[in-house]
Amino acid sequence: MNQTHLVAEHASPAAQRRDRRLLEGPVLFDAHRPVLLAGPACDTLQAHCARFHRGPDGDTGRARDRDPGTPQARGDLLEDLDRLGLAGRGGAHFSVATKWRAALAAGGGGTVVANGAEGEPASAKDAALLLHRPHLVLDGLALAAHATGAVRTIVWLHDGADDVRRSVTAALAERRAARLTEPLARIVTGPDAYLTGESSAVVRALSGGPALPEFRRSPAATRGVDGLPTLVHNVETLARIGLVALAGTAGHRDSTLVTVLHDRRRTVLEVDPATTVVAAVSRVGPIHPPQAVLVGGYGGSWLPWHVAAHLPLEHRALQTAGAGLGAGVVAPLPAQACGLTETAAVVDYLATAGARQCGPCLFGLRAIADLLLDLARGNGGPGHLRRLRRYTGLVTGRGACHHPDGVVRLVGTALITFQDDVDEHARRRRCLHPGTGAVLPIPARPAVASRSGRATGTATVPSAGIPGIPGIPGIPGGRR
Amino acid sequence: MNGASALGRAIGHSRLLRVDPVACDGIGMCAHLAPRIIDLDPWGYPVLAGHPLDDADAPRAAMAVAACPRRAMFIEDGPEKIT
Repeated sequence: MNQTHLVAEHASPAAQRRDRRLLEGPVLFDAHRPVLLAGPACDTLQAHCARFHRGPDGDTGRARDRDPGTPQARGDLLEDLDRLGLAGRGGAHFSVATKWRAALAAGGGGTVVANGAEGEPASAKDAALLLHRPHLVLDGLALAAHATGAVRTIVWLHDGADDVRRSVTAALAERRAARLTEPLARIVTGPDAYLTGESSAVVRALSGGPALPEFRRSPAATRGVDGLPTLVHNVETLARIGLVALAGTAGHRDSTLVTVLHDRRRTVLEVDPATTVVAAVSRVGPIHPPQAVLVGGYGGSWLPWHVAAHLPLEHRALQTAGAGLGAGVVAPLPAQACGLTETAAVVDYLATAGARQCGPCLFGLRAIADLLLDLARGNGGPGHLRRLRRYTGLVTGRGACHHPDGVVRLVGTALITFQDDVDEHARRRRCLHPGTGAVLPIPARPAVASRSGRATGTATVPSAGIPGIPGIPGIPGGRR
Repeated sequence: MNGASALGRAIGHSRLLRVDPVACDGIGMCAHLAPRIIDLDPWGYPVLAGHPLDDADAPRAAMAVAACPRRAMFIEDGPEKIT
């Protein structure tokens, strides 16, 4: 963001009011550990209300105009979200309005989950949001529950995400003290595994099962936890819903949180839909032109740098290039690194991180990873490539969740993007980029989920309000 | 049109053979009973023809469903997409 842009943004209070952002600036994380290096301070409830122009009693003009008890008020936010075409920010980009309509059609009365279990090793956007704007996420959670007639709200986190959990716990305590009229929100945590945040795994864990994906014959929005409508929303999606409710569609400015992995750091940025890949990466630090960039996440797509550099970080635009925004990871690969070796390491991790439930995923991903590792080490030939193509074709769409599909996407785009490297490894058994260290971080912690890995550490944090009594969710001042 | 079964035509649905991959243990009974519509991958797990069942295949598909020791296979009325 250059100086002129900043001046323009803060030119008038009116402009400032319209400029609804999720974060104030970049947030830095250590790339190999979940450690926060720098970023803006966490909002207290008071700061949150001031930032988003709630009145001293926490009231907002827009919320005041609504009678929350009527179906119209419920439909109002739903219509707004539909008009904006808000899509989920967890990776699947599914329409929020469609999910809500399914839950309403199924009769409501279920659960809304704020999913903050960020399994993607390169991503830190959900942690950044929960560390800095927990109230915005909790506003969105209460609003989603209210709008869809849900009676229970859950914040779903990883066991090891201690700082995130502290932030959410403190925010819930503040809301309880302020006596907000909203459903009781509970923090529930699951194992530190890659798939813990997969939405069917969340539903299964909250129903008393292991935190592993399950095969669902009807969508969770219709029949989820305990057979009742269940919405699992990524925390960024909920923050976005909170912003729309506070600012309305007129003041809405779309933006996206992305995590740029660069120079052994993860930096979370908030970007406009028009921001290009090269612009986002440049904001993080001076770059030498990379050879390629991984977009979406570890189950995402490799694109050659010359293809990706000037693409906007917007889901549809990325789709036209054969990629997608996914979980918002942008990982440039330096010119001196070997894309095949990086991909092999990631696929090896993803094969290990599976739930070990579905045969095609359990055996297929391992076979694919071993073929890639052989090729990367110079132990594979053209036969390896043939089997690789055959196996990736075989596992697509055959898991209970989309885990194998992500691996297929990663491998397929790697074979195209790093074609020269792949040829050199397969035919001449040597690397064009020898002696470079790994660029993409691979978690050292055990990645394997297990059937005994049930949801643990349930911290019940009762928030304020009187369940069952209609009120404006998330608005302080609903005194008992 | 030979795509939909009589039942499928009657209620306006095509019918799809599906497998719950979590329940499936790769026993392979299904592929022996309905080789035209069920293949096995190199690890012994069923690969299903993705297209709707036609009248000729429906009885074999029903046999495969009934024979699965894990009760992993089922026939579903299309075209609704299940996620």
